[in-house]
Amino acid sequence: MVHDSGPPHNGHLVSEFDLPVDEVTCQQFVELVTKYFEGALQPRTMSQVEEHLVMCDWCVTYGEQMQATIASLRELGGEHSPEARDSVLAVLRARRADGA
Amino acid sequence: MQPEPAVAPARMAFSDEQTLAALRAGDERTFRELFARSYPMMKRVARAHVASDAVAEEIVQETWMAIVTGIDRFEGRSALGTWVFSILTNQAKSHSARERRAVPFSCVAPSDAEEPAVDPDRFQKDDDAWPGHWATPPRPWQKPERRLLSLEARDRLKAAVAQLPDRQRMIVGLRDIDGHSADEVCDLLGLSQENQRVLLHRGRSRLRAVLEEEYLDAADV
Repeated sequence: MVHDSGPPHNGHLVSEFDLPVDEVTCQQFVELVTKYFEGALQPRTMSQVEEHLVMCDWCVTYGEQMQATIASLRELGGEHSPEARDSVLAVLRARRADGA
Repeated sequence: MQPEPAVAPARMAFSDEQTLAALRAGDERTFRELFARSYPMMKRVARAHVASDAVAEEIVQETWMAIVTGIDRFEGRSALGTWVFSILTNQAKSHSARERRAVPFSCVAPSDAEEPAVDPDRFQKDDDAWPGHWATPPRPWQKPERRLLSLEARDRLKAAVAQLPDRQRMIVGLRDIDGHSADEVCDLLGLSQENQRVLLHRGRSRLRAVLEEEYLDAADV
């Protein structure tokens, strides 16, 4: 496979305009993955990413791991504080009693 | 693999028109629902200003006290959510001034410092056969059968979230844990989409790396 050497692959956050003409590399994919999930890539970059994913199982694995991470974060949600709520509730009731 | 569909947006709790009337009337059910729905978001924003969870919780409680005692004076010239949020940030700022925090909240934008999503050594270098392609690729995770995460992985993830840099923790929390949309978060914090996304990207990348370590450790047992 002929590889276009393109810009240095040193892992900094890739601006879409820095991409080489022909392809997205794995190192670029891991920087673009968030924008990819948000649906915010330029159409051209989007198709380059999708082409890369057709050929690269490892990046598909990486993407799935990222999705699993996000799904796991969702499960952490739902913090409550009944004590704080109850002390404010007491004030609310007192005011209602006064104002009624 | 399709791009992940947006997490169902949690409505910004104060945007309901009937909320104001209900709060003025001292309606308990409205208060309880509103409190529960907004608590994670309010605590997360407060926590970005101050050094501990305990202080963030105090700030949220003080804010609610101010809402409940001040609701009659609220004239409705701004949106209710805006008013609440300004009380929250004022309370948080006066706490943080007392703590003398080093980083002012106005700097919510991500730092320019580079933070690669994955250790660059895991990719082939310019003089290797396939520059930029994986040298040490990710290995599929062995997940427990019916849960998304093992209990150990869940604990490790929680700890890792707590250790994220403040701004990344706040954005990951609001977007991925609490489920707010990108637009809601950008609106709430006055951030550009791009800045919000950079913080989200960095936070998520760190957390994926933590889970990867956890799964590799587990596989070696």
